[in-house]
Amino acid sequence: MTDAGSFAQKGDTIMVEIKRLTRYYGKHPAIRDLSFEIRDNEILGFLGPNGAGKSTTMNIIAGYLPSTSGTVTVNGFDITEQAAEAKQCIGYLPEIPPVYPDMRVEEYLRFVAGIKGVKRSEVRTQIEQAMERLNLTEMRKRLIRSLSKGYKQRVGFAQALLGDPKLLILDEPTVGLDPAQVSEVRALIRDLGKDHSIIFSSHILAEISAVCNRVVIINKGEILAEDTISHLEETMTANKQLHLTVEGEKDKIVRLLKDVRGVKSLSDIRDTAENRIECTATLESDSVRNEIMSVLLANDCTIVEMSMAKLTLEEVFLKITQQGKKRSGIEALLAETPEQPTES
Amino acid sequence: MFALYKKDLQSFFLSPFAYVLAMLFMLVFSISFISLISELDSSTLIFSFPSIFYDNFFYFIFVIPILTMRSFAGEKHGGTEVLLLSSPLSTTKIVLAKLLAILTVYLFMVVLTLFFPIYIMCKGEVIWSSLLCAYMGFFLWGAVCITVGMLLSTLTANSIIAAVLGEIIMVGLLFLDLFANSTLVSVYPKLDTLIGWLSMQRRFLYFSQGLFRLEDLVFFLSAGAVIVCWNIIIIEKRRWSRN
Repeated sequence: MTDAGSFAQKGDTIMVEIKRLTRYYGKHPAIRDLSFEIRDNEILGFLGPNGAGKSTTMNIIAGYLPSTSGTVTVNGFDITEQAAEAKQCIGYLPEIPPVYPDMRVEEYLRFVAGIKGVKRSEVRTQIEQAMERLNLTEMRKRLIRSLSKGYKQRVGFAQALLGDPKLLILDEPTVGLDPAQVSEVRALIRDLGKDHSIIFSSHILAEISAVCNRVVIINKGEILAEDTISHLEETMTANKQLHLTVEGEKDKIVRLLKDVRGVKSLSDIRDTAENRIECTATLESDSVRNEIMSVLLANDCTIVEMSMAKLTLEEVFLKITQQGKKRSGIEALLAETPEQPTES
Repeated sequence: MFALYKKDLQSFFLSPFAYVLAMLFMLVFSISFISLISELDSSTLIFSFPSIFYDNFFYFIFVIPILTMRSFAGEKHGGTEVLLLSSPLSTTKIVLAKLLAILTVYLFMVVLTLFFPIYIMCKGEVIWSSLLCAYMGFFLWGAVCITVGMLLSTLTANSIIAAVLGEIIMVGLLFLDLFANSTLVSVYPKLDTLIGWLSMQRRFLYFSQGLFRLEDLVFFLSAGAVIVCWNIIIIEKRRWSRN
């Protein structure tokens, strides 16, 4: 894992502190022992497959569900002990936008401003700003019932902005939106991230990497990895894999490849035909390819096929969630490729 | 809290809901009123309004679950419960705001029936002090039933189930009242005292006779308060043990 200190690039003060959070549904633990922080003006991606415990965690942070054990502190207020103060700092957009179909957009936002305790003098300005940010101004008189799913999502998003909360909790805000709307919402989140702390959940890693500064990967209720997006991308580009099909003596080829500087590991070594092997080499950089070619050719080995395979973000995510074991960081997870014995 | 109260009140009055219920209530009230007048003793021309309340309450008590069924079940069903419970409003304020909204609709329905005594006042004489006492008892009786209906709405996400459960409980309450008046109970004085203490109809009897007893007022208010507190505890408890 990257040092906690290196995460502090956005803000130095902690907006949300989650410590050893556990929630049981009956005997089944939905989340177990989660601990992480969200700093001031930071966009934290909360990534995990469906059923990983993302919504449960977000519901607990928002004060909707209590935890079985552990604590959540928002802006210094404990979410259970000082619920009203903590909730004043939170804007929450749940997975299903909490809208009343029989209300009109503006009327609904006015109601939400009321229950959030927005000052009377600020209600109008805040509603106008929220509607403007979400492109809802033209829809202000429309019944929410008659709006499309995308617009309902926008109304839900607009209500989260009311009360000028310091923390925004967005549970899969782009689900069900068309590509243009997804792009708009991402741009909005990036814009809001300048002066808000945001926790943003998704099961799409590309989306998280496009918007967030840092990512927490969760599966089956446990944190599998926590890293900055930039470090995650660096790690991916550093882990380049070269698929090779070579004709020659197996032991000799393996020894030659392992001796090349810049080859980090060899995996998936298989005999595919007589005197022909396939293997995958993890390289430090692209330039190692030339070295491999010259070494093999100089030792009378015929290269039948050679292709680069770069791990995509999705592959990283799948790898992490499928391994299902807690690792110290993305790098450790990626380095752990199932290596076969190179000498038999 | 006012925002939630206003929203709930609007959901009643901006839909036909409150008006249809009020219309039904007035219809039953009118039928009772007409039948009472038609049976009037021609020598005295005196009749008792509270007896209309009695007749009506047997119908009205079944209207109450329809009034309360959506209060929490509707929020849960529509996914808006999360908005309320994650807002800075406390559970107590949420329950009170919803209760006040339903009580306002109920008050609106009760106030509509003032048409009849006002009409009588134009033609004859009305003993207002006694009548207002009866109105107060009627309101308190209904208010306690409303708190019961709200409590049941908290237990389910389905408004229809909340209404059906409410009707069953209302039948149970009526049964308790009938039981309290039966000779079977009067044989056992202790049981009679206990059921008499719990029977809301007996309490209303004093109000209807123009007799304002602090004991009855305290009973209705404390019964309502206990059920409201129970409602708040159920919401909190359900959150803590939600599956």
